[in-house]
Amino acid sequence: MTATPEELASPQPRRARRWRVASWAPVMVLVLLCIIITFINPNFMTFGNLVRISQSAMIPLVLGIGATFIILMGSIDLSVEGVLTLGAVMLSMLVLNGANANDYGIVGVFIVLLTGAAVGFINGVIHVRLKVPSFMATLGTWFIGVGIANALLGGMATRINDPWIRGLAVQRFLGFPWGVWLALFCLAVALVIQNYTRLGRYIYALGGGEELAALSGISTARVRITTFTLAGIFYAVGGILAAAQLGLGNAQIGNGRLFTTITAVVVGGTSLSGGQGSVLQTLVGVLIVVVLSNGMVLMGVPPSVQIGVQGLMIIAAVALSMDRKLMRIVK
Amino acid sequence: MQNIFARLGPDKLRQWLPLATLVILVAVVGVMQPVFLELSTLLQLASDTAVLFILATGVTFVIMLGGIDLSIQSMASLASVIVALTVARYGYGAFVLAVAVGALAGLLSGLAHVRLKVPSFIATLAMGGVLFSTALVSSKERSITLGDVDRNYQTWVTGTVFGVPNVIIIGLIVLAIAHTLQAHTRFGRYSAAIGAGEPAAYASGVKVDRQKVFAYVLSATFAALAGVILAGRLASGSPTLAAELLLPSIAAVVVGGTAITGGVGSIWRTLVGALIISVVRIGMTFLGVNIFAQNIVFGAVLIAAVAITIDRSKIPIVK
Repeated sequence: MTATPEELASPQPRRARRWRVASWAPVMVLVLLCIIITFINPNFMTFGNLVRISQSAMIPLVLGIGATFIILMGSIDLSVEGVLTLGAVMLSMLVLNGANANDYGIVGVFIVLLTGAAVGFINGVIHVRLKVPSFMATLGTWFIGVGIANALLGGMATRINDPWIRGLAVQRFLGFPWGVWLALFCLAVALVIQNYTRLGRYIYALGGGEELAALSGISTARVRITTFTLAGIFYAVGGILAAAQLGLGNAQIGNGRLFTTITAVVVGGTSLSGGQGSVLQTLVGVLIVVVLSNGMVLMGVPPSVQIGVQGLMIIAAVALSMDRKLMRIVK
Repeated sequence: MQNIFARLGPDKLRQWLPLATLVILVAVVGVMQPVFLELSTLLQLASDTAVLFILATGVTFVIMLGGIDLSIQSMASLASVIVALTVARYGYGAFVLAVAVGALAGLLSGLAHVRLKVPSFIATLAMGGVLFSTALVSSKERSITLGDVDRNYQTWVTGTVFGVPNVIIIGLIVLAIAHTLQAHTRFGRYSAAIGAGEPAAYASGVKVDRQKVFAYVLSATFAALAGVILAGRLASGSPTLAAELLLPSIAAVVVGGTAITGGVGSIWRTLVGALIISVVRIGMTFLGVNIFAQNIVFGAVLIAAVAITIDRSKIPIVK
């Protein structure tokens, strides 16, 4: 077999190939996981369980997509729970609900998406303009978001009565809830952004080497702020889905979601140092996390153990995926 | 010459800014509520600050190195659960056990960070998950109230000596130990050196990895101690007992003037920072701000303080 021109041009073809194997590893883990769980409990491979898995995967997927873009740039976003909680609570107060007379319907949804974009934009501006490391800026906005949600609710929970919002979790199309289709739509949008837009290319360029990207004439500040804004919108979609699934908005709705999101992204093989990964890998990562917890439920492992297992998965996945030759100092 | 003054001016100002803020805050709250300046209220303020200060002291060692520890609140909660579960059987041994578990957890996250080269915020986020999960499983997901007999073992936390609450004395002992470690030992010097410039520290023969692991051990140990004290003060243990303390602790360190980029900072600054956070909290309570909504203020304060104290020359690319 003759080598293609691309392979000849590549200075390190061997490393490229190894990277390709590494990027398939999560898929293999997922397949293996499915086989093992089916072996232990055949109920795993039923259509009903498949729907259950898709239902628990839809929110982590949407959140993971947003976080993937951030992590591809080499940054991190800890404000996932803040935006999600704020979005869910605002939605529950804007659409037909049990606490006030509002009934804005689709307009309410747009306001929530705009709020998500605004928080993301603020993240980006603080991070870029004030030069605050992203994990600190977003740690602050995480608590600000949850704090505002708490202040809005005053310790209560708001029941959602809007049939359209409830329908996202209840109504089905081809056997799957509409929320799952919405999450898949988000995935498609994210794939287009990642592969066919300038922003997508720039995100990879920034993650691969920011100085080089800046020297090539990319406005790195604008790309960063845009990406944080984009991620905020995805978290707001996650908030809408979470509110629909629970049927109400409360201040605890986001608890533990940051953890699942970051686990999914890094287990999917997206590198925390930036530049390597994709939203499709995040889909695989989300499925690994969800299938594993579904399998543990089928095996009777209490849910509280799963957080610990996820913690170990994060460390293992990051340790395996980091290209350590590139970085001498790890902070 | 002028150039030097220009550079010295803001730096000096920056150094005294936290203390000036604290004095102004105390004065403002004192004018609003004269009862605040009474001795009993001030002692109460100091007792309430102790737990926050101990948590923040631990994490100061890590931040000095340029790292971060996001697992302290889970460690403190786990420690409270351990105390609540074992104090009936082991007596005072329960406290030792809880602090020992803290040291072990710190060792593990330090090793994960140093050996596996996992960035500290991810390693400690993950370790926090493991600790939280452990606390949930061992407490069967509920809050455990200490019985009357168990409470006898808590007098070293809840009692007073000549009218001074013991918890303040514990806080002062922690201050003395931590200050000595940070300012008068090789470890403290090396930490500052690593934070100021890791490659230079490495090149000068500092065993960077060992110092780092020790800093994480200290952070988790102090967090566990804070959890033990919290369990004593609230007479209960629960997997979410300290859940609201992560943000104020990190805010205390940064507000005190320790830079998140490492190298600059001290335990005294953390003490001032912790007092600022406490006074702000009390001020907000006087104003009737909901305890959860207070996070809005702390989040904003954290970002502002990081933006002011950060050394931008050290990070050409902010990620």
